[in-house]
Amino acid sequence: MSLSRFLVKRALQGIFVVWGVVTVVFGLRFIAPGEPENVLLPPDVSAETRQQVVAELGLDEPLPIQYLDYMAGLPFGDMGTSLVTKTPASGRVLSKLPATLELAIAATIVAIVIAIPLGVISATRRHEPADYGATTFSLVGISTPNFWLGIMLIIVFAVQFDVFPTSRRPVGLDAVLADVAAVQLGAAAAGLQNWLYHITLPSIALGTYFTALITRLTRSGMLEELGAGYVRTARAKGLPETLVRYKHALRNTLIPIITVLGLQLGTLIGGAVITEAVFNWPGLGTLVIHSIEARDWPVVQGCIIVIGIGFVLLNILVDALYAYINPQVEYD
Amino acid sequence: MSDDNRVTRRTFLQYGGVTAGAAATVSLAGCGGDGGDGDGDGTPTPGDDGDGETPTDTPTDEGPSVPEDFPVRITQGNMPSGLDPHDHRETPTDVVMLHAYEGVLGRDPDGAIFENLATGYERVEPGHVRFTIREDVQFHNGDDLTPADVAYSINRMVQEDVGFASPQRDQLAGVNEAAVADDARAVDVFSDGLNPTVISSFGTYCDVMQQSWVENHTKAEIGKQMNGTGPFQLDSYTEGEEVVLARYEDYWDGPADVSQVTFTAASEAATRVNQLLGEETDVTVNVPPQEVGRVENSDVARIEAAPSTRIIYNAMRYDVEPFSSQEFRQAMNYAVDLESIVSNVLEGFGSQTGQPTLEGFVGHNSDVSPYEYDPDMAEQLVEDSGHAGVEIELHTPVGRYLKDLEIAQAVAGYVDDLENVSASVNQRDFGSLVDDLASGEITDKPPWYLIGWGEATFDGGLVITALLSTGATFSSYSNEEVDSMLEQSRNQGGDERDQTLQELNALLHDQAPWIYLNRQFSVYGASERIDWSARSDERIDAYAMSPSS
Repeated sequence: MSLSRFLVKRALQGIFVVWGVVTVVFGLRFIAPGEPENVLLPPDVSAETRQQVVAELGLDEPLPIQYLDYMAGLPFGDMGTSLVTKTPASGRVLSKLPATLELAIAATIVAIVIAIPLGVISATRRHEPADYGATTFSLVGISTPNFWLGIMLIIVFAVQFDVFPTSRRPVGLDAVLADVAAVQLGAAAAGLQNWLYHITLPSIALGTYFTALITRLTRSGMLEELGAGYVRTARAKGLPETLVRYKHALRNTLIPIITVLGLQLGTLIGGAVITEAVFNWPGLGTLVIHSIEARDWPVVQGCIIVIGIGFVLLNILVDALYAYINPQVEYD
Repeated sequence: MSDDNRVTRRTFLQYGGVTAGAAATVSLAGCGGDGGDGDGDGTPTPGDDGDGETPTDTPTDEGPSVPEDFPVRITQGNMPSGLDPHDHRETPTDVVMLHAYEGVLGRDPDGAIFENLATGYERVEPGHVRFTIREDVQFHNGDDLTPADVAYSINRMVQEDVGFASPQRDQLAGVNEAAVADDARAVDVFSDGLNPTVISSFGTYCDVMQQSWVENHTKAEIGKQMNGTGPFQLDSYTEGEEVVLARYEDYWDGPADVSQVTFTAASEAATRVNQLLGEETDVTVNVPPQEVGRVENSDVARIEAAPSTRIIYNAMRYDVEPFSSQEFRQAMNYAVDLESIVSNVLEGFGSQTGQPTLEGFVGHNSDVSPYEYDPDMAEQLVEDSGHAGVEIELHTPVGRYLKDLEIAQAVAGYVDDLENVSASVNQRDFGSLVDDLASGEITDKPPWYLIGWGEATFDGGLVITALLSTGATFSSYSNEEVDSMLEQSRNQGGDERDQTLQELNALLHDQAPWIYLNRQFSVYGASERIDWSARSDERIDAYAMSPSS
């Protein structure tokens, strides 16, 4: 099967996945406790006012009508109207996407940049101090809850030493790119600096678990590959050790790492909820939680659609990358 | 507009919390009493502002000039849901609104009413109140405020065909219509019946908008823009992230000291406190007791706390055993060591109650004390009630009120300590608990539940009507004597009404329809760079802030 046919097939499957998820969530909202109007309005609102608000929000329509209305608008990007802000749900959801992507990608970069070299060093210097250091780091990293790490980073680096800010995202990478596009390079540089200043702590807090995980994967993968027959052959034919390690062994190690990276990145898009909350990072995870608390179902559904699409796309990307890394893998 | 005027009102707001405690209490106790500023007893009310209802009519110097650049940042738990002042029912939204929009009346930090866009008000006849509208007030777009704008704003709230189905409709309960007076710069407000609480309602609610501006903008635009008469005007709004307001230099009462107010939100209390200690914000809301020490020990911030208008209580349904027994209900009150809950669970950030009406509210009876902690008496009363050996379950929301679960666990613990009663706690999702409470059927309510109630109008009669009168949506109680006294109070004004409500509160103390718990405190963290005090009504007013000296 060619790559393009494979992509089309997976995209069609993805549409069904997203549709299924949306339908389930749509159904769940009717069995979840707490009517939106009772959460939106304080208890002292009269029954008459409550009823007016229900009608205004369109919540008095029969369930199938609400579902069909929703599904009819969805292909055109209409995710309904937020029950809280009365603005389009799609706008609320999409406005949070850049922040989430930035944090997820930054955490992934932190993980890749640290974990892969660390894992390789750990594997090639097995039972040496560097290996013990790396395995200890990965054990601690995996065992540390990221909310605790986040709070500690804030207390030490923001409150105590004032090196980084405690929280927030005053500038987004989208704004920096807009400055670059407008050839406002001074503003773009200042914006980028401000962005890095704010994203450093959250990406470390979020990326640490991930770093530890990838370090362990890289180490065990490399150890396995370095013991394989083809590595012995490569060494026997006199290939330099760097080529053996990085061109042959590491390349084969990357396949499981990419799988994990892809799935983890999907999870991060779904919401690094706790990290976002600790650092007041205005992303999708925070929006989902707030929207569930407020029973703002159109926004909850919108978030889940975006997260679902993110997962589907990443899975397709990971599958496509397999074949790039290992030509033996075929699409089917 | 005169400078005297400016100094008067600003000083009034700034120092009200510190110096006007006694004055405000007197003023509130006199609500409707001498016709000064209360809920109206038919006597004409003061016609100009700052006329002796506050300590600020003492001569004040001009003070320091307005600082050029003094930006302030306020971090709440949630962002405003939108910027339409009539289309929300949340405190965080209200806090933002009050900077750009104003009502005809306002309240000082302790709840006493003062004139804002009105220069006077009077009861013309039962059900008819007239507000005289201030001159020389401009909206942020430069247009003059007219009585027609005020009348339109009231009608936008109470009449669906004028505006929309405003969720604030019943904040002006009883009001039917407003119209411009024929022969004066005034607005007439018409209500069903006497409506003794109408002035109280206008003291807290009904932001004034410009009729032509509203009519020329779509509902969506009104939700993203602002055009009021308040001391700050909208600079920028990023939905869900930030609202930036700039000082309105032409404000009728003089420009604010604060040059810019930025509202942001962080749902996590620890994050808010970190922002405060990192000097990234100037005021944060809801500092939990466990974080108070960190703030107090810092050099850059302090704690500001004030009793709020919210009472936390345990309702006991009158129609199910064992709570149908007055002895049993009283026993529950005697069983709970409320003093210990306030000092240990709430770490002092609360005060004890013994009646539905909070201190400082119309109708509060200062002769009624909280129930003493007396477990022996409680066990005896349980025996007398004939319900010894009963098992009961307390339903409580989690995380909705300050230490709600911990309070519920303490209450159930004390009751369980009685030898003849077993008690446990059932943690509930707030939404599902409110579903049960709001259904309108008393049988849907749990027999015993913890809930809180805020009444920003400072009126005890409204609290009792909503929570303890027969058939009210949120009522867990029914008693003929209570109903008849409430009915009597509806046809009274001033002192007479206050007296009736005081007697009613004494009666409700004895009948014990609730376990009376604590008055919730609003606990804020404030930067040392600002001079500001917390208010009772959960509002944070940047107009009352100045650089600390």
